[in-house]
Amino acid sequence: MASDRPPHSVARPVVHRDVVCPFCGLGCDDLTVEEEPPATLAVRSTDCPVAIERFSRTLAAEPPRVAGVPVPLAEAVDAAAAVLGAAQAPLVAGLGTDVEGARSALALAGRLGAVVDHALSDGLYRNLAVLQRTGWIATTLAELRNRCDLLLVAGPDPAALHPRLFERWVAPAPAFQTPPSREVVFLCGEPLDTTRAALSGLPVTVLAGDPAKSGDAAAALAAALPDPSRASGAAGIAAGDIAALAERLVTARYTVVAWSAAAFDGPHADLTVERLVRLVRDANRHTRCAGLPLAGDDNVIGVNQVCTWRFGVPLRTSLAGGIPLHDPHRFDWARYMAVADAVVWVSAFRPEVPAFPAGQTIVALAPPGTAFADEPAVFIPVGTPGIDHPAHVFRSDTVVALRARGLIDRNLPDAATVLKAIAAALPQEGLPC
Amino acid sequence: MLMKLAGGRLYDPANGRDGAVGDLFVRDGRIVADPGPGAAPDEVHDLSGRVVMAGAIDIHSHIAGGKVNIARLLMAEEHRAAEGACGCGVGLATPSTHATGCRYAQMGYTAAFEPAMLPSNARHAHLEMADIPLIDTGGYLVLGNDDLLLEILASGAGEDAVADYVGFMLNATRSLAVKAVNPGGINAFKYNRRRLDVDENGPFHAITPRRILTALAGAVQRLGIPHPLHLHGFNLGVPGNVEATLDSIAAVDGLRLHLTHVQFHAYGAEGDRKFSSAAARVAEAVNHRPNISVDVGQIMFGQTVTASADTMAQMNNAGLAHPKKWVMMDIECDAGCGVVPFRYRDKAFVNALQWAIGLELFLLIEDPWRVFLTTDHPNGAPFTSYPELIRLLMDRDYRLARLAELHPALPEHTILGSLTREYSLGEIATMTRAAPARILGLTDRGHLGPGAVADITVYTDRPDRRAMFEKPDLVFKDGRLIVRDGVVVAFLQGRTHVVEPAYDPTIESWMARRFDERMGQRLTHFRIAEEEIRGGTGLIRHACQPGSF
Repeated sequence: MASDRPPHSVARPVVHRDVVCPFCGLGCDDLTVEEEPPATLAVRSTDCPVAIERFSRTLAAEPPRVAGVPVPLAEAVDAAAAVLGAAQAPLVAGLGTDVEGARSALALAGRLGAVVDHALSDGLYRNLAVLQRTGWIATTLAELRNRCDLLLVAGPDPAALHPRLFERWVAPAPAFQTPPSREVVFLCGEPLDTTRAALSGLPVTVLAGDPAKSGDAAAALAAALPDPSRASGAAGIAAGDIAALAERLVTARYTVVAWSAAAFDGPHADLTVERLVRLVRDANRHTRCAGLPLAGDDNVIGVNQVCTWRFGVPLRTSLAGGIPLHDPHRFDWARYMAVADAVVWVSAFRPEVPAFPAGQTIVALAPPGTAFADEPAVFIPVGTPGIDHPAHVFRSDTVVALRARGLIDRNLPDAATVLKAIAAALPQEGLPC
Repeated sequence: MLMKLAGGRLYDPANGRDGAVGDLFVRDGRIVADPGPGAAPDEVHDLSGRVVMAGAIDIHSHIAGGKVNIARLLMAEEHRAAEGACGCGVGLATPSTHATGCRYAQMGYTAAFEPAMLPSNARHAHLEMADIPLIDTGGYLVLGNDDLLLEILASGAGEDAVADYVGFMLNATRSLAVKAVNPGGINAFKYNRRRLDVDENGPFHAITPRRILTALAGAVQRLGIPHPLHLHGFNLGVPGNVEATLDSIAAVDGLRLHLTHVQFHAYGAEGDRKFSSAAARVAEAVNHRPNISVDVGQIMFGQTVTASADTMAQMNNAGLAHPKKWVMMDIECDAGCGVVPFRYRDKAFVNALQWAIGLELFLLIEDPWRVFLTTDHPNGAPFTSYPELIRLLMDRDYRLARLAELHPALPEHTILGSLTREYSLGEIATMTRAAPARILGLTDRGHLGPGAVADITVYTDRPDRRAMFEKPDLVFKDGRLIVRDGVVVAFLQGRTHVVEPAYDPTIESWMARRFDERMGQRLTHFRIAEEEIRGGTGLIRHACQPGSF
């Protein structure tokens, strides 16, 4: 697994094998990545568009900026501390970072009394809302790969966000079922061409109903489980198709119902998740069935895990005083941004940030080359986890944490180091708590 | 720096001291021999009349890992309560990492061990344990439902192969011991089996739970792991499960075995309610077999949450959830997790009898070196209820008064009222300090002799034992004062205790292929590097002695 780095710097590619990809939450750890000196990376082993695009974005380091003026790192850290120390309602968000970055960001937020959230937490919260209301029965990727004989994909194809899902976790035959057979059903969503190609050897059924009514289809299926002959149609899918699928569900040995909550359109998408979760629960009265809620981009799952263990509550929490206060509505970063008077935005996984409200005071930690609509108050370029430094990230199934190693040295600090430095530059306090 | 703790009453069972007055000297974080009259201590604490014990050690407490975070999410209400307000989180059944470290230290505990670390979730558990301040930690690795082990057994490979596999897994996951949870049952549940008898072949791999249990107990013995196989037994919570518990004791045939939260496995099915105490039968078996140890898993009344890898048992209990929401997970071809919130009610007959069965076990098992004080936090109750539990063990009048407040049918179903035993301070020191250290192989913990790590707790001797154990006067960790009069006065980081048994590494090539073919993960990435634990400064290794147990 070690990098095949020559002892002397010569102009031929360095080949990194068995590279962990930290970006989409599938936890692929089999990448071959070529490094063209000084610091250009190219993924050679897969045509996964996420991996190819993210590993390629390795612009050379640039200096931090304060109000658009290049400054040394220490000066930028002091400027950030000055801005944040004066804030009355700060927001620490984005949080596209590894476990150590999350620890440091949450510690800084605690010092500031800030609200915390992850840029891509919408999908996560559609799932967590249901987990907290009703609970669920869920599974993990290796169970899908080795035990699942019927995969039901609800809504838009998750491969749009998690490209190698089918290649790595569905196409191989289940090792722990006899016979080792598997079929895949798409409910209220069309498989992408790449998905069809990955599943070319397997029976695939597409019930292309209205994606916005995936929840209706799930409810109709659940209702049909006790007696498929009484099934009714839903979401544009005929009653006969619902009946056939219900019949298949109760006779399957281990069904996995997968969805990508971030892909559901429309308001109250958590209600769609809730109906899928109920379908899973009802199916377990007949056989085994488990859900696979997918939502893992930019380590949102890992950051949420760290927040939950450190504060007892998940993201979308205010640390403004007293006990941590969790409110998934009020403390959604997109909403809180409007009332915050200073924002720390961490986006270490990608050189992209959202359009911030005009006039908002932003301290941005992001890779070199990040484009801003308005120049932030402070910009500190940071390395990308798993490219510039070793990093712990969580897989989308919440169970497996992986350690990605660093591949190149662009002489960039990691987000954790910068966040700790900002916290250290704030006026010192006594013992916490 | 030399520190002197002068004139305390030392309860140090490992060194034969039962309240003898004496001085302790601490230098560089360890207890040292009396340096003689010429030495001038830099710091002296006058402990005249005070009770001095080593820092307490909890051998079974669910403090970290995926199921704990799921439990926190399900128990949102307790994280809105203002009690014990702290900016770093609250919670009793599901405290934040910060609150976990603080509450333990405030009770005089300096170590707690996560007893259900799944192989696939080990890295998470270690990352989380590193965020628990003040106390040492470590994890027991859950094996016995992992498809890889069942494949090895089904292949007919010998005990050597099983031991090599277990040895690799303990090293790779940085674990301290081996835990088996309902061996075979969690795997069978993935094939929709809701029950599996001890001698019944499981689905797919066609291996019996008895075979798994004996294979793992044997592997632990071969590898020389200090802690015996830590068994969460069969049919948890089911009336009549005492037969399976006694059968487990017989199955290991003299090998060492630790039965965890045995209260949940000591139920008969007799009497008018078809639910009865079998504590006396379990206690008799334990008393006669020095190879058996137990922790109790006492229940206490109130709201908590149950979190277990035993999906088979938890699915059966899901209908009892309070509040009515629960989570089950099938996990990564190695185990599962079931999280079910629950409220133990003192006016409910079943719960009251569970409470009595736990206390009967404590009082009937004679050797305090082989019975450990646990509530299976948070499954029986939050660990913060230990002081109340200690009072119940030490104070018969108090115990009888509590008994009288419970379900009216209880007295005719328990012998608790007739048990006169009261634990002494020395016995409490044994079961919460000396014995846990010994059974985990932590040779320099749990005692106050020269060379021991200076984890020390000082109490005022109060007749109200709950008040006494709730709020020690002083707690030292590694020789540093961390708690004074119940208030945390300094923060420091604990360490992570592990074993690294020797094994034949040729097993790794077979495992690497299996990981590639099945787990979608390289074996090299599964293995946790030393620098991943507390930044590389966290490990404390404990010796394995193959064949010596």
